[in-house]
Amino acid sequence: MRKYVTMIIAALSLASVAFATESQIWGEMRIQNILGYDKEGSTHLGPLFTMLQHQYFAWIFLGVLIGVPLAFFIHYKIIGPKVFPHSAKKYYAFNLYNRIIHQVAAVSFLVIVPTGFIIVFGDFFGGGTLVRMAKNLHGIFTIPFTIVVIPMALMWLKEALFNLDDIKWFMILGGYLSKEKKPILAGKFNAGQKMWYWVAILGGITMILSGAIMFFLDFKMQMLHDLTGLSQIDLLRAAAIIHNVMGFAVVALFITHVYMSMFAIKGAVQSIITGYVEEEVKILHSTWYKKLKDQGKF
Amino acid sequence: MMSELSKMKFYCDTNRCIECFACSVACAEAHDLPTGISRRKVITLFNGVEGKEISTSIACMHCTDAPCEQVCPVDCFYIREDGIVLHDKNRCIGCGYCLYACPFGAPQFPRDGAFGAKGAMDKCTMCAGGPLETNSVHERELYGQNRIAEGKVPMCASICSTNALLVGDAESVSAIYRKRVVGRGRGA
Repeated sequence: MRKYVTMIIAALSLASVAFATESQIWGEMRIQNILGYDKEGSTHLGPLFTMLQHQYFAWIFLGVLIGVPLAFFIHYKIIGPKVFPHSAKKYYAFNLYNRIIHQVAAVSFLVIVPTGFIIVFGDFFGGGTLVRMAKNLHGIFTIPFTIVVIPMALMWLKEALFNLDDIKWFMILGGYLSKEKKPILAGKFNAGQKMWYWVAILGGITMILSGAIMFFLDFKMQMLHDLTGLSQIDLLRAAAIIHNVMGFAVVALFITHVYMSMFAIKGAVQSIITGYVEEEVKILHSTWYKKLKDQGKF
Repeated sequence: MMSELSKMKFYCDTNRCIECFACSVACAEAHDLPTGISRRKVITLFNGVEGKEISTSIACMHCTDAPCEQVCPVDCFYIREDGIVLHDKNRCIGCGYCLYACPFGAPQFPRDGAFGAKGAMDKCTMCAGGPLETNSVHERELYGQNRIAEGKVPMCASICSTNALLVGDAESVSAIYRKRVVGRGRGA
């Protein structure tokens, strides 16, 4: 913990040093930036970002915000939730460490996602104090997520690797399109959960990095310049585009994750709160259930 | 009717700019800008290359199709009837998008929040203040002088000793420049 705090303080103090030195945007580089804007052979990232942000980003976010919950609402009305009886048989699947890590990430997301939407629809909220506060919270709650993202990636990595079960899971869409309770092939995590794992981890890290580039703005990142060949301003433009596009995926799957745990499988959320999974794994995670049964753990 | 030609524009005559930095300094002084913010900047190209070296002064160019205005998530920009691009600092959240969209690197961000968070964006107002009550204390504090409202020329152009920096409606600016080109007997 102390190591992380030291790292954050070091990053912030380094940032202030970088601000004091020659600016990558308003200093010498400014001339190249102006001359290169949309010229032939340039990256065209400036006009591209302008076009995307002006015409598409907010509408796509609105589409995701309305479309995904709407699809689930229809699913809930037509197919309905899956309800499983509470039996005496339980298996302790998530230890305290797993749950704390997950809950820190969960709380971070519950702040980051809504504040992100407030920023995207900032004109609707009239800008000013409210949206500025949302922007600050959006950044502050990235810190707890940054702290837990690597431990979370490591603790579930083995279960999140795709295997043959997942192809069959995808072919029937996890059985969510039928009311039947037939055993579905899946390990501890089904293909949907695995998809969310990779989007949350890899997408989450992408969001952290692109967000940090935008937050620190004029922080000199020589390694990134060398790696990408982009100037600081183009790096910022790329970061803004990536942050928005990755945001579509993260938000869509985050809503899905919440719907599945809170509504689609009644009581599923309890398993990450108490750590115990119940009889429903027999149906929803049949491969895992069989394995546990063989080991005599269920 | 306002046409493209009657929009307010800056133009810097590179045949006259002598890289004295007066515009930049006068601007910072006139608007009490904090350290680290320079709304106007003098840049030199081909420094030291004989016959090729030119200097010019840049700030917000008050674009007709201002990209900053197009990308702002909180819609804090507004373009005046006369073409001056202004923004509302009380609405601005300091996200930085206008900077990414701007071809000239004009928007700047003072670090005034906690943990070095970006404050409200600051840029050249063509000495036309902001959306607050004209020449009020609040307007002056947030945006600097409103010289346009007083019928004065923007500070940078008024201080320019060689009259390199021109400002006015596009038609008048180009008329002056045309006359200079004719007088010099060669192009720009």
